[in-house]
Amino acid sequence: MALSFPFSAIVGQQEMMLAIQIVAVDFSVGGVLVLGDRGTGKSTAVRALADLLPPIKVVKDCPYGCDPSRAGSQCPQCLTTGTGKLATSTRPVPMVDLPLGATEDRVVGALDLEKALSQGIKEFAPGLLAQANRGFLYIDEVNLLDDHIVDLLIDVAASGENLVEREGLSIRHPARFVLVGSGNPEEGELRPQLLDRFGLSVEVKTPQDLAQRVQVVRRRDAFERNPQAFRDEWEPANHKLRQRIVKARKLIANIEVCDDVMMLIARLCQQLGTDGLRAELTLIRAARAYAALQAEVQVDVSHVRMVAPLALRHRLRRNPLDDTGSGARVQRAVEEVLTA
Amino acid sequence: MNGAEPSDLDPRWLDAQFALIALQMDPAGFCGVWMRAGHGPVRDAWLEQLHATGCRVCKIPAQVDDDRLLGGIDLARTLRTGSVVYQAGLLSSADGGVILLSMAERLTAQLASHLYQTQDQGVVLPRHGGEPAASRYGLVALDESDEDEPGLCAALADRLGIWLDLRDITLAQSAQRVALLQPQEMAEAKLRLQAMSHEPQHLQALCEVSLVLGVDSLRACSAALRLACLHAAVHGRDALEDEDLAAAVRLVFGPRATRLPQQESPVEPSPEAKSASEPDDESAFPPPPQPPEETDGSDAFAGDAEQAPKDVLLAAALASLPQKLLDSLLVGQTGSPQAKVSGSKGQTMRGLQRGRPLAPRPGRPGAGSRLHLLATLRAAAPKQRLRKRWGSGRIAIRAEDFQLHRFEQHRPSCLIFALDASGSAAQQRLAEAKGAVELLLEQSYSRRDSVCVIAFRGTQAQLLLPPTRSLVRAKRELAGLPGGGGTPLASGIQTAFRQAEMLHRNGSTPMLVLLSDGRANVALSGVGGRAQAQADAQVWAQRWCSKRFASLWIDTSKQPDPRAKELAARMGALYVPMPYVDARRMASVVESLRHQQSSA
Repeated sequence: MALSFPFSAIVGQQEMMLAIQIVAVDFSVGGVLVLGDRGTGKSTAVRALADLLPPIKVVKDCPYGCDPSRAGSQCPQCLTTGTGKLATSTRPVPMVDLPLGATEDRVVGALDLEKALSQGIKEFAPGLLAQANRGFLYIDEVNLLDDHIVDLLIDVAASGENLVEREGLSIRHPARFVLVGSGNPEEGELRPQLLDRFGLSVEVKTPQDLAQRVQVVRRRDAFERNPQAFRDEWEPANHKLRQRIVKARKLIANIEVCDDVMMLIARLCQQLGTDGLRAELTLIRAARAYAALQAEVQVDVSHVRMVAPLALRHRLRRNPLDDTGSGARVQRAVEEVLTA
Repeated sequence: MNGAEPSDLDPRWLDAQFALIALQMDPAGFCGVWMRAGHGPVRDAWLEQLHATGCRVCKIPAQVDDDRLLGGIDLARTLRTGSVVYQAGLLSSADGGVILLSMAERLTAQLASHLYQTQDQGVVLPRHGGEPAASRYGLVALDESDEDEPGLCAALADRLGIWLDLRDITLAQSAQRVALLQPQEMAEAKLRLQAMSHEPQHLQALCEVSLVLGVDSLRACSAALRLACLHAAVHGRDALEDEDLAAAVRLVFGPRATRLPQQESPVEPSPEAKSASEPDDESAFPPPPQPPEETDGSDAFAGDAEQAPKDVLLAAALASLPQKLLDSLLVGQTGSPQAKVSGSKGQTMRGLQRGRPLAPRPGRPGAGSRLHLLATLRAAAPKQRLRKRWGSGRIAIRAEDFQLHRFEQHRPSCLIFALDASGSAAQQRLAEAKGAVELLLEQSYSRRDSVCVIAFRGTQAQLLLPPTRSLVRAKRELAGLPGGGGTPLASGIQTAFRQAEMLHRNGSTPMLVLLSDGRANVALSGVGGRAQAQADAQVWAQRWCSKRFASLWIDTSKQPDPRAKELAARMGALYVPMPYVDARRMASVVESLRHQQSSA
């Protein structure tokens, strides 16, 4: 596998980096949607995300990468192999690319042709959704994804389970993944339903600051000249970040969100008129993850202030023609509610 | 490079020649070349030399299937042998070489995404699982699109380092060839390239130029740096010089420029700039851009020593621009900030697909339906054991296994709005019309159609917004639309007609909504005169009718005008007088037209 650009060497783009770290701390926040200009390091940052995550324990040889400690969420294969102790192995967190033109077969899985042809056995060949279980599913140019694949993803992302009923197969397997998408909004809009499946969203812009641009190009050049040496050079920084995330993951269970902050969050969402309660939940989880990253024991207003634009920006019920930046609207509402 | 006397070469042809050497040296380093050129002897000359470079060139047709591209099941051999045979993909076998992509402007979004994802990661993931194969290749995208077509998809174009435009190169110019590198030379140059160092000020200068020219993508900066190093290495230098930077700027930033420098004086190619850039030729060298009136240039800092390298580079970049692009950039400065450098390809690419695939169904192929090979195999697979009893060792497929392709046809539609923004359609009406158009845009948004906006006023029509699904953009363009001037109706219909034809070619259904009072007073040539204007409008109305594209004429005049009605009839348009443009009513009329269209 080719080496990826080290995460800690990415210059600027604080908001995007923060969103990615929050998701790395707490998967339940939901995915990240990165919208912005081309050539701003969107895909570089997302692909580098794997750097931040400690490897996971899986049931050995399980195509779905089942978690041996969680009995309830196992795939048909692990359930049938018996109740005894399962052999385990560790592997990196899956980071699966979903190409734009992927066929339905490839995404959900299909009849295993090899087995069918050579042995005449009807067996299921898992698709990308199975590979992405317990990891990340990355869609570049997500706003150009074909409608029928979007439909599929919306359903699976909500239920955490992939149900295959085709070619005489009837399979149900866990597909709990974090959606990560990137795209350029000038090329097309995203379906609101899909938008809703992303926990956080960030907008990235090309840095117009000369020094920053110079630094980006210099690091990129150094990486391309000698990827391995460059990665080695940044490994200490990556390691530190990884430690911080591991620590935050441990902390998060004990972090409290007091009633005042909870009220504040509810009022904020009310003011912005977000649909449903997903906004509140995501905001609470994101604020908690951010507090954990800061090694604090309690969520306070400053944490909410920091993550509110990320969690709410894409949930505003907006007139599709209103182009005032939704980030600015969230910011304004935050100021109003917090100072009140 | 010890080729012909450089003074009789067009600088752009010289650059194209350097691109060949760059491909020869390091095909994957700067991702590749976007070549805009028609099919003809000039492009052939370039391609001939590309083959002469000794690079492994692998041609990929636009209709390649994913199994062949990425590696997957070899169906023919699988059927013959009766066991699954995999084949290596074209992308993985192109490792270290160059992929030649013909008809790149017709590339499907799918193929494009495979290409750039593979290139980004440097590995090919085979279709049916299996080990990823490392592959790094250069890409040469041959784009034959016309001026008004969107061309190569923007996501791919952004990654390709060098953008070449050979459309204006003459045959005589293309006869000049530079010598390609001999193996010995190349080995030496490669060694130099590896050791090549660049100073911070070089990098700084490149980034500065990219900012000044409005080249946002940072990929371009990286590509420029690599090309500068490569240029220095090929020319036998061990460190970067201004000349190398200038070459990189010409190849990478020049064609990508979306704005001209704010201060005018650095734009004037100073003497040292000329010596640093390619030698100029009176006829082929594009003249320096004329300073726009609004800047006087007196307070600019041309003499500033710190600015010098940047100025030299800027001059190089501007010298490489064709006059047409310069003009459009100058216009872009005063008008919309959205220069049409990169068209949005997403929508039109979607139009190319044959529809949403449905589950295949059993049947006999022929009579327009195609055999779905994979599904047929799947249907036959479970029965193999049973059939083996009678048959040989081969895979046994019976007619009952045949499965056919089925698609749910969905032709995306595109609403073309042609707005009369002339003086006769007074300001008030224009505002009403804008409101109505916005409402329709919202509806198109909910049904995921694309929209395209044309405005006509003054001497001619202008394409405000190429077909897009981005409503934010659509609204921005509409808001900035001024009113006043004559009514070049013929030009408006003509522009709409060209757009409609293009959309139709790309598989969309065009639908025109024309808002005008029909009082044409500017002829197609741009001169005033009612009679000629009306005649021209009728000619184009007739042409519209001949194509049977759907259209709707909303007459916005206070008293419905017989001339408008007549023109509408000639166009075969639904004619709706609407003295006060009522957004809701207009929306419902468009809706009914849409129904007619879809039931027809």
